[in-house]
Amino acid sequence: MLRRSRTTKKLAKRIDLQYFTRPHVFRRWRFWLSVAVPVIALGWFVTQRAQGGQKVYSSGPLAASHAVFTQQCSLCHVARAGNFATQVSDEACLTCHDAPVHHANQSFKPACSSCHVEHKGSRLLSATSDSSCSQCHADLQTRDGQPHYVASIKKFAGDHPEFSPLRTGRRDPGKIKFNHYIHLQHQLMGPNNTRVGMSCDDCHRISKGNEEWPYAASLDVSREGKSVPQGLKPAALSNSGGTAEAVPFPSGSPLPVMDTREEGQSRPQWRYIEPPTFGQNCAACHTLQFDKRFGNDQVPHEKPEVIHAFLLKRFAEYIATHPEAVHEVSPPDRQIPEKSRLPRVARNASEWIQFRAEDAEWLLWTKTCKQCHTLNSTEGQLPIVASSNLTTRWLQHAQFDHQAHGMMTCTSCHTNTEKSRETSDVLLPGVQTCQQCHRDDKPRESAEARCFECHQYHDWTKTKRTREKFTIPQLRGVARLETR
Amino acid sequence: MIVLVLATAVYVAYSVRSIHGPRGGSALGLTYGIVGFSFMLFAGLLGLRKKFPIWRVGRAQSWMRGHLWLGFLSFPLILFHGGFHFGGQLTRVLMWLFIFVFVSGILGALLQHFMPRVYTAQLPMETIYEQIDRVRGQLAEEAVRLVEEACSALEGEVSHASELQRATSAGAGKMGGLTVASGLQADEEVSAQLRNFLNGEMLPYLNRAGAEGMSLSVAAQARTMFQQLRILLPQNLHSSVDDLENICEEKRQLDRQTRLHKLLHGWLLVHIPLSYALLLLGAVHAVMALKF
Amino acid sequence: MSSTTTPEIQLTIDGKAVSVPAGTTIFDAARINGIPIPTLCHQQNENPVGVCRVCVVDVGQRVYAASCIRQAEAGMTVKTATDQVHAARHTLIELLMSDHPAPCARQQHSGDCELEHLAANAGITEPRFPRRTTPRGKDDSSAVIAVDHESCILCDRCIRGCDDIRHNWVLARRGKGYQTGIAFDNNLPMGESSCVSCGECMVSCPTGALTNKRVVGTELGQGDVLDPAELLHLPIFENVSGTFLELNQKAVVKRRFRAGEIICREGEFGSTAFYILEGSAEVYLASPIAHVKTEGSSSGFFSRLKSMLSPREEDHRSEESYRPFIPIDASVDLPYENPIAELGPGEMFGEMTCMSYYPRSATVRAKTDCAMLEMLRNVLDILQRNKTFRAQLERNYRVRALDSHLRSVPIFAPLTKDFVDHLRDRVELLRFSPGQVICRQGDPADSFYLIRIGFVKVSEEKLGGELVLAYLARGGYFGEIALLTGSPRNATCTALDHVEVVRISAEDFQLMLDKFPDIRHSLEGTAHERLEENRRRAIRTENVPVDQFLAQGLMEAQSLLVLDLERCTRCDQCVRACADAHDGVSRLVREGLRFDKYLVATSCRQCRDPLCMVGCPVGSIRRRNTLEVIIEDWCIGCGLCANNCPYGNINLHPFPVEVDDPAHPGRQIASVKVKATSCDLCHDHAEPSCVYACPHDAAHRVNPPEFFANIIQPHNAATKTRN
Repeated sequence: MLRRSRTTKKLAKRIDLQYFTRPHVFRRWRFWLSVAVPVIALGWFVTQRAQGGQKVYSSGPLAASHAVFTQQCSLCHVARAGNFATQVSDEACLTCHDAPVHHANQSFKPACSSCHVEHKGSRLLSATSDSSCSQCHADLQTRDGQPHYVASIKKFAGDHPEFSPLRTGRRDPGKIKFNHYIHLQHQLMGPNNTRVGMSCDDCHRISKGNEEWPYAASLDVSREGKSVPQGLKPAALSNSGGTAEAVPFPSGSPLPVMDTREEGQSRPQWRYIEPPTFGQNCAACHTLQFDKRFGNDQVPHEKPEVIHAFLLKRFAEYIATHPEAVHEVSPPDRQIPEKSRLPRVARNASEWIQFRAEDAEWLLWTKTCKQCHTLNSTEGQLPIVASSNLTTRWLQHAQFDHQAHGMMTCTSCHTNTEKSRETSDVLLPGVQTCQQCHRDDKPRESAEARCFECHQYHDWTKTKRTREKFTIPQLRGVARLETR
Repeated sequence: MIVLVLATAVYVAYSVRSIHGPRGGSALGLTYGIVGFSFMLFAGLLGLRKKFPIWRVGRAQSWMRGHLWLGFLSFPLILFHGGFHFGGQLTRVLMWLFIFVFVSGILGALLQHFMPRVYTAQLPMETIYEQIDRVRGQLAEEAVRLVEEACSALEGEVSHASELQRATSAGAGKMGGLTVASGLQADEEVSAQLRNFLNGEMLPYLNRAGAEGMSLSVAAQARTMFQQLRILLPQNLHSSVDDLENICEEKRQLDRQTRLHKLLHGWLLVHIPLSYALLLLGAVHAVMALKF
Repeated sequence: MSSTTTPEIQLTIDGKAVSVPAGTTIFDAARINGIPIPTLCHQQNENPVGVCRVCVVDVGQRVYAASCIRQAEAGMTVKTATDQVHAARHTLIELLMSDHPAPCARQQHSGDCELEHLAANAGITEPRFPRRTTPRGKDDSSAVIAVDHESCILCDRCIRGCDDIRHNWVLARRGKGYQTGIAFDNNLPMGESSCVSCGECMVSCPTGALTNKRVVGTELGQGDVLDPAELLHLPIFENVSGTFLELNQKAVVKRRFRAGEIICREGEFGSTAFYILEGSAEVYLASPIAHVKTEGSSSGFFSRLKSMLSPREEDHRSEESYRPFIPIDASVDLPYENPIAELGPGEMFGEMTCMSYYPRSATVRAKTDCAMLEMLRNVLDILQRNKTFRAQLERNYRVRALDSHLRSVPIFAPLTKDFVDHLRDRVELLRFSPGQVICRQGDPADSFYLIRIGFVKVSEEKLGGELVLAYLARGGYFGEIALLTGSPRNATCTALDHVEVVRISAEDFQLMLDKFPDIRHSLEGTAHERLEENRRRAIRTENVPVDQFLAQGLMEAQSLLVLDLERCTRCDQCVRACADAHDGVSRLVREGLRFDKYLVATSCRQCRDPLCMVGCPVGSIRRRNTLEVIIEDWCIGCGLCANNCPYGNINLHPFPVEVDDPAHPGRQIASVKVKATSCDLCHDHAEPSCVYACPHDAAHRVNPPEFFANIIQPHNAATKTRN
């Protein structure tokens, strides 16, 4: 039998009434922890600040190219007076960078930071998302009315129009007659009477390497009398990738400046196929003999005037050393069907030279040169040769790097080449060819398909030089740089 | 709830359309950030509200519910604000702090929902936690007193014997003749054993804050021990044994209460300091982010 | 029988020839001649009755004669010490001893129980005869004399002392045969009877049947012990037994106080009353008139701001019952504004403290040099029953206190001085002892009562028990409802302790109502309210409650603070809120017994039957009309209410005050006073702070029968069908 009883009064009496005012273990812990933890947090923060400058505020690591400024937020995040700057202003970017305008007529200029997003870690700052471009191009408006381009492009796959050279009705404007089909046959007659089979890169190469051109002339006097030694190296790669200076042929339509890439540079530079030249690619098979008397000597691959002068000179030399040849009568070397020519006998040396030169020129203008060139020849006058008009760069608003695609066979993309018999065929691969690899449905399992991969926003033709501005201490933060 | 749905809808629309994904700095991101932080500030003010319980600024219950709901809502809002990214150092630390605070808060809410029932069911003799030490001391005193009474009765001294014991022997004849015809045997040995039990088992158990390793802390063992005591002692001292057993039971419950209380309130030791740190660093983050 | 010549007679006693006047009893004759005869029922100052037969002697007749009453006759041969006589006495004593609780009270206290003496002389240790099986009982009701019927040998001495010597005619015999015993009045308990505590019976009693009650602290430490003779000179001690005074010599002392000396302090416990012989004394309340929960007016910007946050409604308690007087334990009441009064010679204070051990209700300081009598309860009791003293007391009361007493009841405020004068001589002061019924339900109504001292319980008999309606303290009044409505009494009024009431007869009451229609109006209003409240309470108690509900006393409660234990996280916010609302002192303890899933917190339950209110010496704990029990600001911190509350809901708290520094008069030092606090339902806020501050909606202030209805009612239905 239990004698202990519990009554309210007994229970209440055993409690000390001020218990809740007295400190208790639990409350003390709570209090001190509530003091200690924020102090520790603050301490951590202060040490981070001390060690790392302003890096601790950063919302993410910087891109590799800006990583050197990680601890100096104020280089980019310039505080403007009276303004809580939420985004880095364009002026801050332009302190170091040049950003030429995209197009004079663009309806608005997006801010630098709206496309080039920083604090996302080490990656290309220029790797912007498609939406940066489609913010205008999804529904293109310009300031002066209708744009000249397709009005709505949102992304590459499915939405990108066909490349402009391939749109219906376009033809290759080149004036050099060339038949790819024939040249890709086997057992062609090659140099030194051998049979050869050509491949694409015997004539078309991206400009790199020291390999010989297999069908180059062993002796090419194409550069104004200067002979080019054997094993002709590809034209010296100037900064401007083999256009106007390297090749005597006039280049195609004016192009924006392209950069070429050397090893180790971080900025992409676009490698194009060097346009084929006669000396490198044709001379070994297509020889320019002009007269039996001279055997395998060839006329220089020059303008008609030069050839004329050359011929006169050679014949003159010949007759000087062979005066008896004046009275020879010999038919011309070649008979051109439908265009028979009676042999003429000269009376004297000068006439002989003139007659022989005319014969040679007749051969050349009506057969040899005409095989490839388009020219108008009238009797007695020098022909007018149409400019070859080789297009060295087909895509004028996009970049393409053959080096990056070098692992592929040429015909896997240039699918029409093997069947092409007309010069006017445009052998550029269409957008669908590209879209087979550059897809955006599975971005990590396909080639890059975003706009920046091929296109550039800034018109680098109008670039200005970056002004020098900083010393090393300034850049590294020893002295703070306060910009405007 | 409506707020949550609304916020989610807006966020989804925003994250799809924005360039480069949602950012903390954009206008909508800022809105999320500010609203989320203000929710967190309100949640933090609960502590302040509890310091002034009688101020008529809204019932404590409303504040509590507000704390729970707004705290809960602030989590997705801040996630939206940060675009589910962790950002740089400060923001990473902030995010982790926030996650801990949030999780501990959810845990605490659950505990507060379920633990009171456990308490009530398991602890019929509970008392105020802060006074457990004091009550324990009183239990020890009571036990000592009980044993003294019983021992005195066993040793034949009337003066310490309780009223009840005297009453049961009242019909036995002489007033002083407690040992005659009343069933109480004067037994020194038993009394010594009883004292040993008190000093050796009960008092150490009662005076100790915890219960580790003491045989009396297990109910079954205690029952056995007390049963042995009952066999040892004469009939009319059995009520004392019952009382001692009850005292042990109360001590057991007090120990259990201590454990449960620590469980019920322990999470606060995580939640509160971390939330202060969170608010502090969050303020720093807000200031610095807005400054830049 | 007196005559000029009394003839002498001769007789032989124990072989000795003696000569005594005729009419002398054998006992006297033997005594005169030096022969002792043992007696029990005979006392020399009383007429002999011869009931005990211890004094029997052999007179040569068939039966032995009782020498105390038998007159000596000439030629008698009296043998007082033969073997047979001895044997007879021996048997007699043995018979008497067989029922005697040896050692009896008298033997224990003073060792002079005459019966046991005789037994010892006769060599009787263990009587052969079995003890009686049914007890005869004790009577402790008198303040000065303990009655133990077990020891009574029915010797009749007390009866003769009370009737013949003192002429009080209180004692008599009752019953027959083995059930015979002594009785006071109509077998009333001695304390309730008309016994005047003169002490004569006690002095006469040979055994421990009537003994002097030992009062706690019989010896008064200080003061001069007075000779009983001196005391008897005082008019107030007229007709008191000298022996009695002698026995209680140390229970009354004379004390002298210099001017400015503090005689007693409020809140102290004591057991003595004071009667002023010379000089005058000031009586006042030294505690500051302030609530334990005090919040002064908001001065300063911040405190005003804060007070906006925790707004308090105005304290309306002053509207309800304006008490211009604070009742204290003296013949005057203290006015509220300036609680000081003066007492002069012939006045008594401290009666309630002395009789019922209440704490002192006020501080008394000697204004001039004084001489006082300090006495214990027994002496006070003597005085209070003493007719002379009573007359003086009543005179004092009528002159000094009746006026203010009447006026302190707000309803009687409009009474004019003339009417009070008219009433002065017509009122009656009646005394009631604890438990005595003053007026009974159903009796015809003939008086109106004002309570002068003590506590009265007003209750109603209902099917199922007694329902307490109210407790009334000094200054309260009752009996008006029946007078107003002309119906029989609707309630029983019982004295809870020593109560003195002022009785105004029905005619005077009607006269008062006729002359002062305002009073009639307000009385009727009060009567109406009381009836309404009674009716409401009756309805509420019709639920038959569950055992545990009753056992914990929950049925008594009108408002409980329950904590839902399934929601409470034991965070202590309620306690803190309570403390915040009450100056740092919590009125609530989060501990108590459980009922169902609720913890019934230790916080005032607003009991129907407010036991706490019984005994407050200054009447500062009271109940407002809207239920809350509040403690007024003149609480003196005696702690009685805290003791009385069966649930421990009232606690005493220290309260810092500035008091006069005794060491450096004129300066003030900080000191601590104690006041009682209890939950007041936060009546100056919209809802109780504890409920407001609970973050989990676990705290509720509820009305128990409604709140627990669904727990009680199903059980209720079951019991009803069983019945």
